[in-house]
Amino acid sequence: MSTVRDDQSIWEGLSKKGVSRRDFMKFCSTMAATLALPSSFVPRIAEALEKKQKPYAVWLEFQDCAGDTESILRATKPTIAQIVLDVISLEYHETIMAGAGKAAEKARDDVVKNQKGKYIAIVEGAIPTKDGGIYCTIAGRTALDIAKEVCGNAAFTINVGSCSCWGGVPSANPNPTGAVGTGEAVSGITYVNIPGCAHNVENATATIVHYLTFGSLPPVDSHHRPLFGYGKRIHDNCERRAHFDAGQFVRKWGDEGHRRGWCLYEMGCKGPEAYYNCPTVKYNSGTCWPVQAGHPCMACAADHNWDAFGPIYKRLENVPGAGYQTSADKIGLGVAAVAAAGVAAHAIARAVKGKPKDEEDK
Amino acid sequence: MAKIAIDPITRIEGHLRIEAQVEGGKVTDAWSSGTMFRGIEIILKGRDPRECWALTSRI
Repeated sequence: MSTVRDDQSIWEGLSKKGVSRRDFMKFCSTMAATLALPSSFVPRIAEALEKKQKPYAVWLEFQDCAGDTESILRATKPTIAQIVLDVISLEYHETIMAGAGKAAEKARDDVVKNQKGKYIAIVEGAIPTKDGGIYCTIAGRTALDIAKEVCGNAAFTINVGSCSCWGGVPSANPNPTGAVGTGEAVSGITYVNIPGCAHNVENATATIVHYLTFGSLPPVDSHHRPLFGYGKRIHDNCERRAHFDAGQFVRKWGDEGHRRGWCLYEMGCKGPEAYYNCPTVKYNSGTCWPVQAGHPCMACAADHNWDAFGPIYKRLENVPGAGYQTSADKIGLGVAAVAAAGVAAHAIARAVKGKPKDEEDK
Repeated sequence: MAKIAIDPITRIEGHLRIEAQVEGGKVTDAWSSGTMFRGIEIILKGRDPRECWALTSRI
């Protein structure tokens, strides 16, 4: 890994590495789509990436499983992986960097010192707060101490994966190590949460691309999650939704309904209460997501899902519109509710689209 | 007689610290420590056994 950023623009860097103009424009289109922007914004995103230099970034790993690192590295199309890693100048990342020990720590310290207030801090994993934070240390320093310094001096922090957003797996009851998210551990920082277990790299990249294009972070909800990625309910975008409405449910693993791809609600699917763009952006380079693979959604991007939405295979209570438990009249009401949800989703999409226009006027 | 410590060990998944005792250019003793703990076993206690795979697969 280079510790010196190229002084060329993002596009120039990509072009030198053999990324074609066509692949670059495809990437810009994907980003516009992920950000819920109309295609007219594609040239603007392309222009920004043509002119802007790569921002410095430091990737911190604390109480993590490296799943969010895998999310970036496992992109199956080489050009996409290349683009993602080339949009930022990653100066420190324990799992993939060449240097170790003091050399690694120096690379991080240099960015914090020389790029103060200008670099992006990316955090993967929760921060333990119990017993003075001893449950995660790097080079003898606690995760809490490192996060305070690195996130405290960054332009902003992106929390990738549920652990750094609100504590994730280590914070599941009884939370033995007092694990919390970065936003709670370090007060006063500017941050965006990209939860998911693992997070979807397209959402993290789109957030950075939004920053490079419009000079600001995307609009977020009350959980600091970008509206473009977490404004729509999984249930409303689910490919199995028609089976829910028709009362066709999987009732046992491997039964006829399961083999036919029916609704997983009875098996504990949390889709009716989960907000995430998982059904549209998908994982594994946009090829699949859990429900498509035949497993119920476990609301991995929702706060404290392991306890608030668990157990995974327990059916959600009181979900309106489940066909088999309602009369024809009530189904009619359910359809009205779906229409209302559609209107709400449209309003959110308009709000997201509206933001950049406002900024354009500035 | 010198003791060296390499922390973090990079290009691995997880957090690792290696300390080594060096005498006359040779390592005579060494210690390794995993420097991160989450208590997954404690979290699993009392849970629906059907969801334990989902937690342990995230180690």
